[in-house]
Amino acid sequence: MIIRIDPESEVPIYIQLTNQIIEGIAKGELKPGDTLPSVRAFAADLGVNMHTVNKSYHELEKKGIIEIVPKSGAVIRRHLHMDSNTYERLYRSFIPHIAEALVLGMSKEEMMKLVKKIINDLKED
Amino acid sequence: MALFISLVILCFLAIVQTFVPYFVKRTVVFGVSIPEQMIQDVRVRSYKKQFSLVTVVVSLFMILFFCIWVAAKKPSDDLMILISTVIEFVMIFISLALFYYFREKMKQFKKEMQWEGELKQVAVVDLSARSEEQLPPWTIYLFPMIVTMGLIGYTFYQYDLLPNQIPTHWGPSGEPDAFTKKTPFSAIQMLVLLLILQLMFLGIQLGIKVSGIKLSATNLSASKNRQLTLRKSSGWFTFYVVLLITMLIAYFQLATIHPELFQDSPLKIFIPISFFILILAGTVVLMVKVGRSEKREPDSLESSIMDINDDRYWKAGLFYFNKNDPSIFVEKRFGVGWTLNLANPIGYFIIFLPILFILLLTFLFN
Repeated sequence: MIIRIDPESEVPIYIQLTNQIIEGIAKGELKPGDTLPSVRAFAADLGVNMHTVNKSYHELEKKGIIEIVPKSGAVIRRHLHMDSNTYERLYRSFIPHIAEALVLGMSKEEMMKLVKKIINDLKED
Repeated sequence: MALFISLVILCFLAIVQTFVPYFVKRTVVFGVSIPEQMIQDVRVRSYKKQFSLVTVVVSLFMILFFCIWVAAKKPSDDLMILISTVIEFVMIFISLALFYYFREKMKQFKKEMQWEGELKQVAVVDLSARSEEQLPPWTIYLFPMIVTMGLIGYTFYQYDLLPNQIPTHWGPSGEPDAFTKKTPFSAIQMLVLLLILQLMFLGIQLGIKVSGIKLSATNLSASKNRQLTLRKSSGWFTFYVVLLITMLIAYFQLATIHPELFQDSPLKIFIPISFFILILAGTVVLMVKVGRSEKREPDSLESSIMDINDDRYWKAGLFYFNKNDPSIFVEKRFGVGWTLNLANPIGYFIIFLPILFILLLTFLFN
């Protein structure tokens, strides 16, 4: 899987990494049980500080997406159903985006379409 | 024999220097990074051509001068080797001067074009690149090391057989021409140095393994092919060099312990010469393999992006200093191979510590 970083972007590099890894899993480019590269290797390939990659891995671990296993590294976890805490967290994180869309004049139907489109785009290839 | 060796080295150097601009990473021209879209630019191509042309003409002129001088003066072997070494340094110096001349031209060109304003800079990682890597396993280094330690044991076992003067240097004819007094240390001195060298090469190989696989966003498949070829080929080349050096030193050590084995044998000249030829041949194979690994044009070129401009990390265009990058080694910008990330202290341990150790041993015990 290819990860592409824009260092000039307002979005910090560690968040760009986190988001792209999550998208990669959603797209199926990365599969549960796959191991991410070691922090050192990842940072060396990108030419960024190891703290940046470390921060991203911790973020992913906090979200429950990967598991740091001693000796084998960062392993992608398998999720079959969602627990209530995660549901709560996602619920909250959607609110500002949906509120912004409503304020900017997006209708309920348009929003449904948007969600469908994003899901289709992720599942497409 | 001295003339043959000198000429081979001079011609080798001339050829390598001439083609260097064509062997380096395609998006770096005279130490200046340019976007993939510009590598076929008329100015870029003409600078490369000019560099090669000047280099080949100057080199041929110097080799010719050397040949005439040898034919006219019939110098001694020592003097011939001295002069050819001076010419080698002059060649390297001229190539460096040309490098800086064209680097300035490229910097000027880059300034005029202002790519940074138009193209978005991106960095890429291929998460699967590491699983496709084929470096030789580090354990193969144990084999030459065990041979060296075996020879150290054998030397002590045969200590009485050793001559009172231990050779420390061999001339172009294959005969020793410098000696030191026999002591338990001087008897194994060469083997100890060999062991340090083997450890250093092993350190380099391990350092390469943990260093970054740097890819180009605009030409993913070709840059990946080059990086993986460079890692694999230079890994095996390093081991090849270690094997050859081990064989050469083992031969010298055995010839010192049992001079009768090689008395009047053609091997005396044949072994060092084949060592020399094999090292040069290996270098050529490495250069051609790596140099050709990235010639393929990208399948589709995204016209709005370019690779990160990392010129600021390359001091004087040749020395990499990047505190953020945990890589120990990075690919050279002018030439084929690796250079140190001078901001990473581990590299100093791998390269300078063994050299310091070798110098200390040589001065303390002699």
